[in-house]
Amino acid sequence: MATTTTDTDPAQAQGTDSPVSRPSDRLTHDDYRELLLQLYLARYFDVRLIKEKKRGRLRGTLYSSHNQEAILVGSLYGLEPMDWISPIHRDMPAFFLKDFKAGWENPDRMGMSIEEVCSQVWGKATSPGRARDNWSHIGSKAKRIIHSTSMLAGTIPAATGVTLADRLNGLNTIAMTFNGEGSTAQGVFHEAINFAAVEKLPVVTIIENNQWAYGTPTHYEYALEDFARRADGYGIPGFVADGQDVIDVYDKVMMAVEHARSGKGPSIVECKTFRAYGHGDHDDDRADRYRPEEEVVEGRKRDPLHVLKERMISMGILTQEEADKHPAENKGAGEVTDADFPPKVVEYLTKGVQFAIKAPLPDETEGAMWVFKED
Amino acid sequence: MAATAVGTEKKNYLTALKEAIAEEMARNPHMICMGEDIGALGGAFGVTDGLIAEYGRERVYDMPISEATIVGTACGLCLNGKTVMVEMQFIDFISCGFDQIVNMTATYHYRTAGDVSMPMVIRGPAGAYGGGALYHSQMNEAWFANSPGLKIVCPSTVYDAKGLMKAALRDPNPVIFYEIKDLYRRREIEEVLPEEDYIVPLGKARVAREGDAITIVSYGQNVYHCLKAAENLESEGYQAEVIDIRSIVPLDEETIIESLKKTNRLLVVNEAPMTCGFAGEILSRMTEKAFEYLDAPPMRITRMDTPVPWVKPLELYVLPSVEKITAGALKLIKY
Ligand SMILES: Cc1ncc(C[n+]2csc(CCOP(=O)(O)OP(=O)(O)O)c2C)c(N)n1
Ligand SMILES: [Mg+2]
Repeated sequence: MATTTTDTDPAQAQGTDSPVSRPSDRLTHDDYRELLLQLYLARYFDVRLIKEKKRGRLRGTLYSSHNQEAILVGSLYGLEPMDWISPIHRDMPAFFLKDFKAGWENPDRMGMSIEEVCSQVWGKATSPGRARDNWSHIGSKAKRIIHSTSMLAGTIPAATGVTLADRLNGLNTIAMTFNGEGSTAQGVFHEAINFAAVEKLPVVTIIENNQWAYGTPTHYEYALEDFARRADGYGIPGFVADGQDVIDVYDKVMMAVEHARSGKGPSIVECKTFRAYGHGDHDDDRADRYRPEEEVVEGRKRDPLHVLKERMISMGILTQEEADKHPAENKGAGEVTDADFPPKVVEYLTKGVQFAIKAPLPDETEGAMWVFKED
Repeated sequence: MAATAVGTEKKNYLTALKEAIAEEMARNPHMICMGEDIGALGGAFGVTDGLIAEYGRERVYDMPISEATIVGTACGLCLNGKTVMVEMQFIDFISCGFDQIVNMTATYHYRTAGDVSMPMVIRGPAGAYGGGALYHSQMNEAWFANSPGLKIVCPSTVYDAKGLMKAALRDPNPVIFYEIKDLYRRREIEEVLPEEDYIVPLGKARVAREGDAITIVSYGQNVYHCLKAAENLESEGYQAEVIDIRSIVPLDEETIIESLKKTNRLLVVNEAPMTCGFAGEILSRMTEKAFEYLDAPPMRITRMDTPVPWVKPLELYVLPSVEKITAGALKLIKY
C-alpha cells in the first residue's frame, strides 16, 4: 500500500496544536539542546573547512552542506548504534554525527571520531581509509558506515545487501542512505529500492532535494512536484519533510525508521532544502552563471539554526538572549567567526584539525598495497 | 600539415576542443549534444560553454544523472539519423553507461550487417597525476579496446585535440574520446591553430620526436613524460624517438614498425594498469610483426596493477614517471 505524506505545513509540523502524536513528542528539552549543538557543529565543520581550504591547507573538493544540516542531524538522531548509514559527497558531518548521542568523545560510539574525519580530509595515514580515496569516500565496517565511491547512487544496492545480511543473522537493524535528488536518476537507485521493496528490507532512503544537481535544476532532472511520490511506484511509503526544520525531518524520518524496524520494509523521505553555495568550492564563484540571485536569496531565507531556535524559544526551552549569544545563523561562510559558535563546538573541531595537521602522511608504498587480501 | 593560414593567438587544449565541437555543431545541423550540466554551466570544465546560448535546448541537453540513458538515448538518435556528442562529466563515470556502449552501440553496425551506423562521440576528461583519486583519474580505454566496434582516441597536443575531435565527430562509427584534463589549461603546450577547417585523421600516429636509439610509444599525458625522458637520454648521448599514437583503435602499426627498423628497441609507456592494458597490446603486435627488427626484449612501463590512490606520494608511486621511463629506456639501449 502506497502512502505519500506531503504534510509540510509548518503549523502542523510544529506538532503543538495537532492531536496526532509525533515521534518528536518524545524528545526532551535536552534532546532539543543537543540537536541545536549538533546543528552548530555541522555548520562549523563546513565553514571551518572552507577557511582551511582557502588558506591552501586542503586538497580536493569541499561540497558544502551549509543550509542542509538539519537533514543530516535530524535523520541521524533517531538511529540505533547498530544501524547502517551511507553518506555521499555533501554529507561529511554524517561520519561523526552517527551515534553522537552516545557521547561526543566516547571512543566506543558507532560513529567516526572527529580526529578520523579530519585525518581523512587532510589526507593523512590516520584516516579510516588511510587517505587512499578523497573526502567522503570513506566508511567503516565496524561502525557500520558504507564506503561510497564517486558513482552516485552506487551504494544503495549495498545498503540493501547489508540489511539482508543482518536479517539473515537475526539482527533488527536498518540502513539509511543519503542521496541528492539528482543522483536518483541513476538506474541502480530504482533497481535497489525495487528489490528492497520486494524483500521488505529496512532501507530508508533520504533524498536531500536541494533543487540543484550541479548546474542542472530539478525540472531537467524529474517531472514530479514531490519527489517522494516516486515511492508509489515501488509500492512503499514516501514522506516529505521540511529540510530546514530539524524537528520535521526527525518526525518524518522516524516514521520511516519505525516502518522499517517493524518489518514493513523500505520507504523514501524527501527533505526539501536549498544548496547554499556552488556545487563544490570550485564552483562557488561561477554558480551565478546558472542560478539566479533571487533564487539563492529565497532559498537561504530559512536557516536551520534559526528555525530550531525559534521553535525552542516558542517552547520555552531557550530564551532570546541565549539564542542571540552565538549568532551563526543567516551568515555566510565568509562572514561568520568562531565567536558565533558555542565554544564546545569550536573546541571539538579544533582538536580534530590539530590532530590531522600533525598526523603523518601514508608511506608512498601503500599505493601498491591491499589490492588483494594476502594470507 | 596541409593547413596554411594560421591565426596568431595561442590557444589551449580546452579551447581547441571547444572550437572543434562548436564548429561541428555549425557545420552539421543534425548534430546534438547531451550530457550532465553541459547547458548553462557549460560543462564541469567549460568545454560546451556557449553552446546552449547558440543552439538552445533543441540541440543541447542537460541530462538527468543517468549515463546509461544518456548513451542509450544517443544511440536512438543515431539510429534515427542524428550525430551525437555525449559528454561524460568525468570519463570514470562511463562505467555507469557500459552496457549501452558495448552491447547496444558498439555492435549496431555489425549486427545489422552494415545497415546502421552510429555517429556518436563519447568524450570526457580523463587521466591521473592530478590528485583526482580512484574515480576521477581513470584511463579505462582498455575496456573499450576489448569491445569491437568502438574507435578510441586520445590527443596530447592542442592541434590534435581539435583535429581529432572534428574527425571523430565526422566519423560514422562510435568513438570514445579521452581528453586529458591535466592538459586542458596547461600553458606550455598552447599552440597557434590554423584558422581554416582541418582534421587529424583517426588511426594515424605522430612522431613527437625523432631519434635512432630507441622507440618510445605512448599517448596522452605520458607523451610529455616520454619527451622529458628523451631529454635525459640525450644528455647521455642517446636520441630517443617518441611516438604519440593518438588513436588507440585503430592503431597505426606502420609508424611504429618503421621506427623500430631504425631503433631496434621498443618501450611502451601507459598510465593505465598493466594487465590487459593497451601497452600489452602494442607489445604483442610488435612482437608478432616486427620481431626481426628488435635487438632487445620489448618493455612496457605502466601504472602498477592498482587503482589510482589520492594522496600525491602514493599516486606518483604507482604511475609511470620520467625517472622510471629514463631508467627503462637506458636498460633497453644497453641491453
Ligand atoms: C555516476 C555519476 N555521474 C556523474 C557524477 C558527477 N556528479 C557529482 S555530484 C553531481 C551532482 C549531484 O547532484 P545531487 O544528486 O542533486 O546532489 P547535490 O550535489 O545537489 O547534493 C554530479 C553530476 C558522479 N559523481 N557520478
Ligand atoms: Mg541536489
